[in-house]
Formats: sequence, structure tokens, C-alpha cells
Amino acid sequence: MCLRLVCMSTSQAIYAGWMEITHSAVVDQAHHRAEEAALAALVDQYAGALYRVAFSVLRNPADAEDAVQETFLRVLRHRDTLNEVRDQRVWLIRIVWNIVLDRKRRAKTRPETDDVAELARVLPANGLSAEARAAAAQHHARVLACVEQLPPKEREVLQLSAFEELSSVEIAEVLGITESSVRSRLFRARNLMAGLLNHERSLR
Amino acid sequence: MNTNSHNSVVGYGASHQELRQTEESLRLIASLPAPEGLERRVHEALRSAPQRGRVLAWPAASAHGWMQDWMRSAAAAAIVFVVAGGGWGVYSRVQQGQRAKVIAMPAPAVTSGGFSSAGAMRTPQTLNGPVLTHPEQPKTQKKIPAHAGVTPGANGKTPMQAPPAQVLGRAAASR
Repeated sequence: MCLRLVCMSTSQAIYAGWMEITHSAVVDQAHHRAEEAALAALVDQYAGALYRVAFSVLRNPADAEDAVQETFLRVLRHRDTLNEVRDQRVWLIRIVWNIVLDRKRRAKTRPETDDVAELARVLPANGLSAEARAAAAQHHARVLACVEQLPPKEREVLQLSAFEELSSVEIAEVLGITESSVRSRLFRARNLMAGLLNHERSLR
Repeated sequence: MNTNSHNSVVGYGASHQELRQTEESLRLIASLPAPEGLERRVHEALRSAPQRGRVLAWPAASAHGWMQDWMRSAAAAAIVFVVAGGGWGVYSRVQQGQRAKVIAMPAPAVTSGGFSSAGAMRTPQTLNGPVLTHPEQPKTQKKIPAHAGVTPGANGKTPMQAPPAQVLGRAAASR
């Protein structure tokens, strides 16, 4: 009788344990699915914006796409903390910005991809003739070459300010500086750019 | 280059035309559309990414918090006990092994071959002894018979006439 009781209690315990596993597994799975759905929504919403940020620095479509993929892989690793992020858009731009800068630093030995033909290929046609497109590409390549000559701090602010969806507060958040620093760097960057373009024009 | 007032170019001292050119170029680059199928490729990359390892739930753990805490405490105590016991075992063995503090080295075995002294004996180098200042006394003196033929010396004196000290001194000098 006693043995039977022990057997009963053991089986009940095992059964209870099994039920517990099943229940926790179901909860886990549901949580996992919710995380995946949230991540998929982030990809659909922000992949394009992140690509443009990456391309503005790297100027290479393949590298920019790689940077976007790496960004979301990092997000996948930290998806537990996704709900704690206040502004997901700025958070994602900050991640891709750091990835892009790191890639650019490492790829300094590689040849620059800023050649005019590549730029002419990616620029929108807008009904222009082939000659006009080539001239426009040449002009933009010159301006972008001057941007590359700026000091890094000023250049970064200038590049980020080109995105209409980013305010100066958000730029400050991406770069980890104050808003007043953003303004002063932008002012310096514009003055330097004016000087560089003037000098470039006088050489022509 | 931004529609925001704080990012506007107007009001800055730089040349307006140059800044407009910069704006146009940067904005053009910033507004380039993403390539077709970017989202799909990102989704695929996320799907093929290695999934994070998940910790299995302990089967015996129940939903009650106190039970989990109790079992965790028991497991932690068991781990501490095992680690401390193992450490104590090692420590006690090391204490026993430290009894013999003097290590007896075996006598070096004489091996055949190698170099030998070939019977040579070492003689220590001695220092120079004290120098004798007084002349040594001769142990035996030649007795000259009184009747022996006298042959005069170079100075016209017979050896008997010469003082003995002179003879001794000459003998010492000749030695």
C-alpha cells in the first residue's frame, strides 16, 4: 500500500513536471514568435532608411546592404532588450552608423569607390540625356570628394544632416554628442565646404 | 540640406551657391532608393542566422517561486560542498606529502669511460719561504794537518794564517 502510494506520488510528480515543461515550452515558443514578428516589422519599416544611411558613407550598394544585414543580425542578438528601446529608429540608425564607420575605417586600404561611372549608374535618370547625366555625376563626384576632405567630426554631422527625417536632436543622439555640438560642427563643416569648393573651382 | 530650421543653411556666413551644391549632392545620395528585394534578403539572412542557445527548464521546478528558490539554494549548497570537499582533499594530501623535507640524493655511480687523472697527483703551490740572512754553519771542517806542506796563497799568507771566518766566508760564497 505504502509502495503503491509512493509510486502514485512519483508518477504524479513526473506528470506534473512534464506538464510544466510543456507549458513553459509553449510560453517560450509564443514569446519567440512575438520577438520574430517584432524584428520582421522593424526590417520592413527601417531597412530602406538604414540602407540610405549606409550608402551615404560607403557609396557602394553591396557594402551598404551588408551593413544593413549586419545591423539586423545585431538586433537579433539583442532582441530581448527590444522593448526597452525608446526610439527604435534612432537606435537602429546608431547601430548602422557605427557599423558603417567601422567598415570604412577598415577598408581604407581598398581603392575608393567614388568613381564617376559608379555614381552615374546609381543616380536617378530624371529624363536627362546620357551626356547630362555624365556631367551631373561628375559634378556630384567633385562635391562628394570635397566632403571626404572634411575632418571626420564635421563630415559625419554634415552627412547625417542630409537625411530629412533626422532632426539635430536625433543626430546628436546618433553621434552621442550634445545638440549644441551638432550645431557648431555643422557650422564649421559648411564653412569648410564653401572654402573647399571655392578652391576647387579656382583650380579648374 | 534639411527642411528643419536648425539644419538650414540660411543665416550662415558661407557662400550660398557652394552650400547649395553640397546640399544637393548629399541629399541626392541620401535619398537614393534601396535596391529591390532588400527586405526579403534581410529576412533570409535573419532566418539563416544561428539561433541563440536556450537554457532548458528544469523539469522538477514548479511554478512556485519559493520552490525554485529552495531548489536553487540546495543546488548551490551542493556545488559549494563538492568544490570545498575537493579542495580540502587536495590540501590534506599535500600536507601528508610534505613530511620528508630532506631528499637523499643517490651517490653518483662510477661510470666507465670518460676522462681520468692518469695517476697524476696534485701538488699544491707553496709560497716562498723566509730568506736566510745569516750564513749557514758548515757541518764538517776539513782539518789541515800542521805538518802539511805550506803553500803560500796569493797574498803571501798560508791558509792557517788566514782567519777562519774568511775561509768560511769564501766557502759560503763559492757554494
